[in-house]
Amino acid sequence: MNMISSEKGKYLILNIEGRVDTSNYEKFAQELQIHIDGGKKFLVLDLQKLDYISSSGLRVFLSILKTLRAIEGDVILCCLNDKIKSVFEVSGFLSLFRAIDNVEELV
Amino acid sequence: MENNFLSIPEEIYLLSIDENGKQHDNFRNEKFDVIISSAILMNLALLHSIDADMKYIIPDKTKEIGDLLLDGVTDEIVEYGNKRRIEDWVSHLGIHGQYFRDEIIDSLVRKGVLKIENEQVFWFFSKRKYPRVGGEELEEVQSRIRNLIFGNDLPDERDIVIVSILSNSNLLQTVFSKEEIQKYGDRISIIAKMDFIGQAIAGNLDTYKIPTVIDSIFKKQSPEEMLEEHIASLKTKFRVTNDDNLPEWIRKGTDQYELTLDFVREKGTADITFNPRSKEYSRLNLNYYGSYVQ
Repeated sequence: MNMISSEKGKYLILNIEGRVDTSNYEKFAQELQIHIDGGKKFLVLDLQKLDYISSSGLRVFLSILKTLRAIEGDVILCCLNDKIKSVFEVSGFLSLFRAIDNVEELV
Repeated sequence: MENNFLSIPEEIYLLSIDENGKQHDNFRNEKFDVIISSAILMNLALLHSIDADMKYIIPDKTKEIGDLLLDGVTDEIVEYGNKRRIEDWVSHLGIHGQYFRDEIIDSLVRKGVLKIENEQVFWFFSKRKYPRVGGEELEEVQSRIRNLIFGNDLPDERDIVIVSILSNSNLLQTVFSKEEIQKYGDRISIIAKMDFIGQAIAGNLDTYKIPTVIDSIFKKQSPEEMLEEHIASLKTKFRVTNDDNLPEWIRKGTDQYELTLDFVREKGTADITFNPRSKEYSRLNLNYYGSYVQ
């Protein structure tokens, strides 16, 4: 799993590549937490190049969402490919998040 | 060392018993074993002993949890080694259902939630209360789940699992009224989907040829229906596909079957067994099921 970051206004955009599963969910969670600890309250997770996500990975998404909503921040999903969108739909997680098709929609 | 926190299977078990500590007669069947098995897997996923995706269970970490039941299942999954379909693990573990129930009751007694007096299970406290965890009394599962569904908060992982089990097993009536289920159905459905193992429960229950668990749990059944359900579950459990291979006492058309039916009528339950040597019937040892009804 690789994560490349960029910023757009108040948003921190994180392009996530590869897999988020049992082998790396802890590292994934830690990296997101570092950004939150650094003061970032609005994370945009670009999932265009995410290949696979397991339950462990989904739980990290939920955990981060709860953390940020508690401080009036948010997590926004962006650019979901068909495979990952299916996982989020089947699991019902898509209903928890604001999802956008591209970063241009951010205001 | 055993931890003092209630496991998911323990919470589900507690939902199946009444204020007097007795498990409803109709929970004492193999369908409930499927539910408990799923609860075990979901608990292991919460603890990262296993992981899951839309199809498979994947072994994760092998650290000891401190729960005899959960550690035992973890060992089995780790020993298996590879990923395996969720439904297959649920079915496989369901066969050990009676053992799981015994372990759950023993554990709840050790944790001070239940007590056994004169071979009957009771809540330790006069009201449904759980032991103190970290200095705070854990909110009882029913009120916790009700508060979640009636509110707008994001669910936590543990409550997703409970709601998923209840919804996918059609056991929501243990927590909600019919009116509440109707009113909050959408929110319940969304949260229930959030666990892949939970989603697999419904599929596994279908393999028991039971369209809805609720039918058997809450509807009054005739002796014939009770016996047919018992036979169906035995056939599934022991993989008997041809009725000619059933023993006479549960094979339709035999004189012994009619005697079996008479016994079911007399006792009001099909939770029975037959000793082919003595030709005597008896009720199943209900101690296996955590209830000590006479």
